[in-house]
Amino acid sequence: MTEVDSLRPLVAVLLSAAAIVPILLSGDRPNLREAWTLLVAVTGLGVVASMVPGVLKGTVYVTDLGTFVPGVEFALRADPLGILFALLASLLWLVTSFYSIGYMRGLSEHSQTRYFAAFAGSISAAVGVAFASNLLVLFVFYELLTVATYPLVAHDETDEARAAGRKYLAYTFGGGVAVLAGAILVFWTTGTTAFTPGGIAALASADPEVARAAFGLLVAGFGVKAALMPLHSWLPDAMVAPTPVSGLLHAVAVVKSGVFGIARVVLDVYGPDLTAGLGVGIALAAVATFTLVVASVIALRQDNLKRRLAFSTVSQLSYIVLGLAVLGPWSLVGGLLHIPAHAFMKLTLFFCAGAIHVETHTDDISNMAGIGRRMPLTMVAFGVASLGMAGIPLVAGFVSKYFLLIGTISAGDVVFTAALLVSGILNIAYFWPVVYTAFFESPGAADEKPVVENPLGGWVGELDVASTGTQTSTRVPIEGTSAPADIERDDHGYAPTHEGQGAVDESEAAAHIDREHGDDTSPAWEHRRWNGEESTWFMLGPILFAMAGSIVLGIVPDSAVFLQIVRLIVENVTGVAV
Amino acid sequence: MSDLPALLVVVPLLGSVTVMLAGLARSKTGWPIAVGTCLVQTVVGVALTVRAFGDQPIRYVVGGFTAPFGIELVIDGLSATMAVLVAVVALGVLGYARVAGPRSNPFYATYLLLVAGLSGMSITGDVFNMYVFLEITGLAAYALVASGDSGRSARAALKYLLVGTIGASLFLLGIGFAYVATGTLNMTDLSAQLAEVGYASPLVQASFGLLVVGLFVKIAVFPVHTWQPSAYSGAPDSVSALISALVSTIAAYALIRIIFTVFTVEFLLTNAFAQNVLVAGAIVSIVLGSVIAVAQQEIKRMLAYSSVSQFGLVVGAIAIANETALTGAVIHLVGHAIMKGGLFLTSGLVANATGARAVDDYRGLAERFPTGAVTFGVLALAMVGVPPAIGFVGKWYIALGAVEAGSWPLAVVILGSTLLTLAYFTRIIERMFFREPVADTASGATTNGAPLVTDGEGTDAEPPLVSAGMQATVLLAAVLAVVLGVAAFEYGQVLEPTIERLLS
Repeated sequence: MTEVDSLRPLVAVLLSAAAIVPILLSGDRPNLREAWTLLVAVTGLGVVASMVPGVLKGTVYVTDLGTFVPGVEFALRADPLGILFALLASLLWLVTSFYSIGYMRGLSEHSQTRYFAAFAGSISAAVGVAFASNLLVLFVFYELLTVATYPLVAHDETDEARAAGRKYLAYTFGGGVAVLAGAILVFWTTGTTAFTPGGIAALASADPEVARAAFGLLVAGFGVKAALMPLHSWLPDAMVAPTPVSGLLHAVAVVKSGVFGIARVVLDVYGPDLTAGLGVGIALAAVATFTLVVASVIALRQDNLKRRLAFSTVSQLSYIVLGLAVLGPWSLVGGLLHIPAHAFMKLTLFFCAGAIHVETHTDDISNMAGIGRRMPLTMVAFGVASLGMAGIPLVAGFVSKYFLLIGTISAGDVVFTAALLVSGILNIAYFWPVVYTAFFESPGAADEKPVVENPLGGWVGELDVASTGTQTSTRVPIEGTSAPADIERDDHGYAPTHEGQGAVDESEAAAHIDREHGDDTSPAWEHRRWNGEESTWFMLGPILFAMAGSIVLGIVPDSAVFLQIVRLIVENVTGVAV
Repeated sequence: MSDLPALLVVVPLLGSVTVMLAGLARSKTGWPIAVGTCLVQTVVGVALTVRAFGDQPIRYVVGGFTAPFGIELVIDGLSATMAVLVAVVALGVLGYARVAGPRSNPFYATYLLLVAGLSGMSITGDVFNMYVFLEITGLAAYALVASGDSGRSARAALKYLLVGTIGASLFLLGIGFAYVATGTLNMTDLSAQLAEVGYASPLVQASFGLLVVGLFVKIAVFPVHTWQPSAYSGAPDSVSALISALVSTIAAYALIRIIFTVFTVEFLLTNAFAQNVLVAGAIVSIVLGSVIAVAQQEIKRMLAYSSVSQFGLVVGAIAIANETALTGAVIHLVGHAIMKGGLFLTSGLVANATGARAVDDYRGLAERFPTGAVTFGVLALAMVGVPPAIGFVGKWYIALGAVEAGSWPLAVVILGSTLLTLAYFTRIIERMFFREPVADTASGATTNGAPLVTDGEGTDAEPPLVSAGMQATVLLAAVLAVVLGVAAFEYGQVLEPTIERLLS
């Protein structure tokens, strides 16, 4: 590995931060403002991508800004692991920027300037996390990421959004404190916090108790953003944010900064050998396994689409953590490859949920019966991404899960293999109903959804005939959904009282329903053709791009650059070519 | 050149007298003279700083009476830092006070007197002389707090006077005990003689206890902080900023001086109890200060309790007594002065612009008064310790020091203080940016804010409530809070010989 002094890592970090100023200044000229976002997103992606060939050849680009605190350099290093995350974040930021334009304008959102400025700041911090050269610099950007994303979580300025924002700050700053404490312990025992592939050597000779404590603190701190149970509860609440935020930040940049932090700790601070030697890897794997199974079960019962996706995210993030914690080269490849794989798939899913919300104000799955007629392309993309999530071949999720399964089996941990398979089945169980209801049901004739509608664990005692009578396929509109005129808010399809309850209530969505067409008098979604008239291309384009990305990663993973980077990372750390 | 150290005290004293006399001839001459004085003070301070960071401190004998008998001024890196801090903050607050007032000449005379007292405390090498400057500082501060025109200011000043005097008296008693034990008042001499008397001697221990408790009162460590919230919230905004940034800071500096230059680390090692008292004071201050701050409705009271908590960090660092922690203490003293002074000025600016003084009035401030909201937000986040702002660097050093010394309870509290600080600042940040202004409070606010827009109608000859100088000052504070964080490492390096000497 050769190190090259270069300003490119610094430029990649600062570009999007620098965009905040022109974005704020051109707040009253939306087209100019969005032009800045797109310009910087393209340039930033170019800068990051320009480093990829070099990194694949073993070059590490370094910007050294001098000493930060004694013994700790403030340096940015574009090594393979960093470039993996940075490339992913800047590529998907560009995609999401287009989508944001369609989404925010489609809903005529307030405070769009603040939104785009905070988005640029978040990406800057995320790239900073990627290129951080040691724990302390990572901590700096980790904290800045929290600050930059807070305005996006609280964007709605409703009570729910503020509560979610408070919870978000409390959880993530709490995590930040744990990371700082862990970094201090590592610094105290070894005199350095710099990332070294294979681990910091001095840590191996340190007091094992201290080393374990530091590992626990670091992983708990990063685990907050990685939504490891029981530290996950901020994530479903943060879904109150606009959908592009849920998509890019709460499925890609923010949550993966947590996962990325764990990857740095396991691979570059402790190293696989020491992690295994201290016995902390197996503990982390157990937590991840618990999370990935339990979150899948919880997702089964979420009727709100974004909430279901959120719990799916919680579950899928733990795939990555599990892959890292099992420590074998195959599972490492699987876990790391799942970072881009999950990003493309989950971004597709969130984009679809957002497009449905913008176009029809439908947010609950029980109201989506027959929506495939209204939004054919969107729902096809949703279907493809769902299959990928479940690990069906030809989509990205299969490849990474394949590596994970091989990795857990070859490490001899059959329990983890079983958990992965169970979770795969649960993935189908909670995604398939969405696809099924969209294409094979209609608003008038939908099946019952016993898992979602009935109380957990089934009825206890005698059946109440009156209440079961209402639990039919036609949902009774929730009270208050006739949208009192004085409540002016848009909640991005999250809150219990959200404005659109889909086809059956009196809100906007009803406008999309044909009550009479020909002989058939049952209500059905109006038909839109497959040429994009269902929405704007600002939203459809990103959806199809993200979907295409997950297919490319699934069909030709070796020519997609991500797998090459992942192989390189694992080879550097373990010395084994996978 | 050789008389420079004395100038640090003489310049503001002369300035103070000049302002007083000039006021007899012409009113409204106070501000320009005060600015000139503070400028000269800054220049002198910087000139001394250049030389002070060497291996040996600058020593200056007042009036030709040599060291153990006469009064000596000693300027090392630490004193120089404090002297420059005093001068710069005083100058900055003047930039704010020109329009915000109070504008009378006696005010500026007292203001410069306070600067003289603080500078004197920073550079003196004699404990009794330090007491004299402590009293000058105290008296000037009482008078400044009382310069507000409400009854509340007067009451707050009275409370400050009573509690502050008790603190100063305890300090004086402590000096008395030390004098009885050794027969000298010069710090360096005292340090040597106390060691001879023996650190286990009850006389020495009593002296230490009295000095420390006296300074605790001045720093406002919980539970002897009671004067501080009412003084900060009762005083005019410029005064709150000045005293919150400087008075407790210099008292904390005095604590460092007394503990490390006079009593030395060996004393702490011999008397574990003394160290325990410091640790306890720190922990209680950090936790309770923050908790009470969360419960406050008035912005300035909340900021005041925040100071109680932040000085807990500094006292904690002093208790840890190693090089890393002390560097952190000094950085945090400087950082806190900038951040807290800036926050008080911003709160004053917001009050002038919109009439908002309570936490709930800050709703929707980002739309009504973006400058204030953004500045407050940046300073608050810096205070929470979001890197790379100065608040983070201080905390890093102190926490690392705590871990190095193995004092785990303190380490946990120091790291946890981030969350405690966050607890009280989140309330405000959330209200400023993510709430709509409430109609009934907004009506009061808009009537107050009206002169802003239709300035100079000549109806009431009201001065503009928000001047460029005021805005520039708070923006400068916010920028400094971030920029100093980047420069803090260099500073820590430069400070190293000074800290080493303190600990030897």
